[in-house]
Amino acid sequence: MQSIGHPWLRWAALLSTLALVTAACTATPVTTPAPAPTGQPTAAATSTPVAPATGTPTAPTAAPTASEPTPEAISGTVTYWAAYDQVGPEFRTMSEVVIPAFQAQYPGVTVDLQGIPYDDLRQRLITGIAGGEVPDLLRADIIWVPEFAEQGALLALDQEMEDFDELAGQVFEGPLSTNFWEGQYYGLPLDTNTRVLFANRAVMEEAGLTEMPTTVEEFEAMMAAIAELGPERYGYAEGGTGAWNVLPWIWSFGGALTNDDYTTSSGFVNGEGTVAAVTKLKEWLDAGYLSPSILGGGSPTSEDIGGGRAGTVLEGPWMPPIFEAQFPELETELAPVPAGPGGSASVVGGEDIVVFAQTQNKEAALAFLRFLLSEEVQLEMGKVGQMPVLTSLSGHAELPDYFDTFSQQLETARARTPHPNWPLIDEALGNAVLEALRGDKPVQQALDDAAATIDGLLQP
Amino acid sequence: MTSLASGSRAAPTGRRRRSQLRRALPIYLFLLPGLGLYALWMLYPLASALFMSFFDWQLVRASPFVGFENYARAFADPLFWRALVNSAGYTVVTVAGQLVLGLGVALLLHERLPLRSFLRLIYYLPVITSWVVVSLIFVYLYNGQSGALNWLLVDVLGFLQRDVAWLAEPATALWAVAALGIWKGIGWTMVVFLAGLQGVPQELYEAAAIDGAGRWPRFRHITLPSIARTTGFLLVALTLGGLSVFVSIFVMTQGGPLNSSEVLLTYMYKQAFERLDLGYGAALAYIFAAVFFLIALVELWFVRRRLT
Repeated sequence: MQSIGHPWLRWAALLSTLALVTAACTATPVTTPAPAPTGQPTAAATSTPVAPATGTPTAPTAAPTASEPTPEAISGTVTYWAAYDQVGPEFRTMSEVVIPAFQAQYPGVTVDLQGIPYDDLRQRLITGIAGGEVPDLLRADIIWVPEFAEQGALLALDQEMEDFDELAGQVFEGPLSTNFWEGQYYGLPLDTNTRVLFANRAVMEEAGLTEMPTTVEEFEAMMAAIAELGPERYGYAEGGTGAWNVLPWIWSFGGALTNDDYTTSSGFVNGEGTVAAVTKLKEWLDAGYLSPSILGGGSPTSEDIGGGRAGTVLEGPWMPPIFEAQFPELETELAPVPAGPGGSASVVGGEDIVVFAQTQNKEAALAFLRFLLSEEVQLEMGKVGQMPVLTSLSGHAELPDYFDTFSQQLETARARTPHPNWPLIDEALGNAVLEALRGDKPVQQALDDAAATIDGLLQP
Repeated sequence: MTSLASGSRAAPTGRRRRSQLRRALPIYLFLLPGLGLYALWMLYPLASALFMSFFDWQLVRASPFVGFENYARAFADPLFWRALVNSAGYTVVTVAGQLVLGLGVALLLHERLPLRSFLRLIYYLPVITSWVVVSLIFVYLYNGQSGALNWLLVDVLGFLQRDVAWLAEPATALWAVAALGIWKGIGWTMVVFLAGLQGVPQELYEAAAIDGAGRWPRFRHITLPSIARTTGFLLVALTLGGLSVFVSIFVMTQGGPLNSSEVLLTYMYKQAFERLDLGYGAALAYIFAAVFFLIALVELWFVRRRLT
């Protein structure tokens, strides 16, 4: 194998890729920052309230540090891609409250927000990286950051931002760590989440249940009672067999995907705890407790619980506002994932904010990034289900009450394997669990096969 | 322009050649924009994909040269063979289905019937619908819990005891998508067959009728041989269409479950754009192009030798 040097690359590479490479090499900011008078924060930066829509008084924005340019000196358009539903509450708050407030503070900057469905977003980004058509800023699923960083597509923010350490000190450590890849931080956390147990209260009452389960045994009894209600009634609905879906059970049963260093999966993904978890899921499926929709081809789980077909689902903190809009009648009870031999463990999700290396508006993009991490914005987005990452907002009175269950779950929740091959690892696990649940292979054999595949994927 | 004219002056063929060229010049000029776009959007990507297929192509960083490694990898990749077999199965089923049903509909609508034009329109409608839209509609029809197909087969007709998740069942997923392919393609096949049927001389049927030939012999010995060229054209066109199926699979099953509906193009797409293995994706594209080309050649040979 020989590496091609620059003349070769120039001769043949896609024009756009070339443009992208050169842009990355000569990353000079387009706007020359004007030096701010030291110790004199400008008025515009200190007093723009963020939430005119709700009328709640908000704290002043943190004053910019001395090295930053004044808001007036920054201009340009910042494109910002995020997996927000265009008609959802998060998108509405971001486009109608947060962005106008930012633009009032930075009159020269326009933020162009694009809400792209989650499944399409990754595709758009990959084709975009190849073609040089990427946003300045991205609200990236935490699990994408190593992959895009490995591609060389992201700016290392700990090098680009003088105030990086200060910002990093204000956020929770777990979410911050998802930005770390090969010695550098490529982003900052934006929001965090995890999955907890949601139950349909009406279904619980119908089945004569009053208490949320705290252990796997109690959960089993609950599912049995709901399944008794009739045909096509299920205790629990799950949307698939991927890592996001099944890891809470694997961990709660004491299993794991890999060792702690992420170097091997043999003995972990096919170890005792994981096998016990998948075996249990199969038992539940065969007994009719678990909806067959876990095998795919059925309705979304939100419709299962919303329509009362299923009693429980595992969901994230963005769901209550969506349920409220889609199923106004639905009342839910929340509880941590039922505890098994490994305790109650769930999977950490969330988003990081990252800057693409070929941004033409770095100063403006970083200004908006800082704004998104301010207390007001974090609080405002928190009200629509996006859990803040600022330690200072923990337990804030204006945040929804249901965040308590999520905060409690986050104490024991764990992260998925941070690895550029994560999508393939996820697929290997998903296929193995699917084969086991379908009965195509015995559980142990399906997971042994997955271990062999994942071991190969973990090799550097 | 001047360089072209001076070039022709230098050529020894003389006056006649020059005046020919002058006549042809405007034609070439009119062709130029089209050819330019063709070169930009077709030839250039083709060439860069070929180039990429010899590298472990990186999006931003320098790409290591790997020679034919990407090509060799494909032949050792079980999923590549799986995709090839699935594509072949999809193609055989959809080509046969479209030919038989398309010809059947064409024969019926070739007859003088009341509402004939209306019926032709109805059968043609699926052809002009969007692949994405009909794929999404079929996802609903095939839904394993509340789909219309299960309702029909289980609740109304009682053919099945319980609901089937058509798109989530490895045994049925590919064929469920193939059914959509056939449904959507019948109209186009019908139109081409109708055109072919117009060309069959009516006298042949009259003569055969006088000789006492019934419906089947007339169809077997007059209609079929007369539309052999049409059938041959459809065979090649539908085969290439079947081998390049993408949208419906991508929307309905994403190649799943458990790769049971993975076809050549979805596999190539996944390698290139989901796994960022762009060099391998490009190599797969060239292998598929070679496969398509060979199959089309064999079919053309068959059509020339046996059908006409």
